Amino acid sequence: MEINYLFPNKFKKIGWLLLIPSAIMGLITLLYECEPGFLDFDLPAIFIDDFSKEQKLYGMVKNNILNEILGILIIISSLFVAFSKEKLEDEYISKIRLESLVWAVYVNYGILLLSFLFIFDFSFLWVMIFNMFTVLLFFIIRFNWQISKLEKSARHEE
Amino acid sequence: MKNSIKVERAKKNITQANLAILAKVSRQTINAMELGKYVPSTVLALKLAQIFDVEISQIFTLEDSDWA
Repeated sequence: MEINYLFPNKFKKIGWLLLIPSAIMGLITLLYECEPGFLDFDLPAIFIDDFSKEQKLYGMVKNNILNEILGILIIISSLFVAFSKEKLEDEYISKIRLESLVWAVYVNYGILLLSFLFIFDFSFLWVMIFNMFTVLLFFIIRFNWQISKLEKSARHEE
Repeated sequence: MKNSIKVERAKKNITQANLAILAKVSRQTINAMELGKYVPSTVLALKLAQIFDVEISQIFTLEDSDWA
């Protein structure tokens, strides 16, 4: 049975090559609030709600696009890493994939629920920022861990 | 569900790796089935029966726990 909702196997490597540097740069950008001047642009935007000015449905805004670029890179590359076919994507791997996805959603929302209860105000912004990426991150960790466990147990046989 | 994949394999003298190639699945999947960790789809079960040239019920048998 052909699975057509996954990327070809080679996208996994491309994904890792993009994900690792962009995740590191993303963290640095976030922690040190990097906003290099050459990435300042006037951009078209919708739902503009500036604290100091009026609310507008659409218009132009000034924005530094470094975080947008890194966010897009992280999301696309983690999608590649998460949803590229294994070398031999058979039905058992698909089952592990599904289980890992459910597990990742549970863990992600479990952590989010705890954050709702114990983290407030500005600190919660950090939760929201990380939560944009954590479902995929938890999935990637769990799925690869299960696959490597499988490979190890298969190597013991015969 | 119990299966006798390992026995059938021994009879035909096929390794896990070779069976995996014949059935077009990974070796881990064959291993997981033999260990009872994974119940294959009907398609894969039928493929295995064809490879071993036996009836499907000769490889796979239900257990009481399957009715629980």
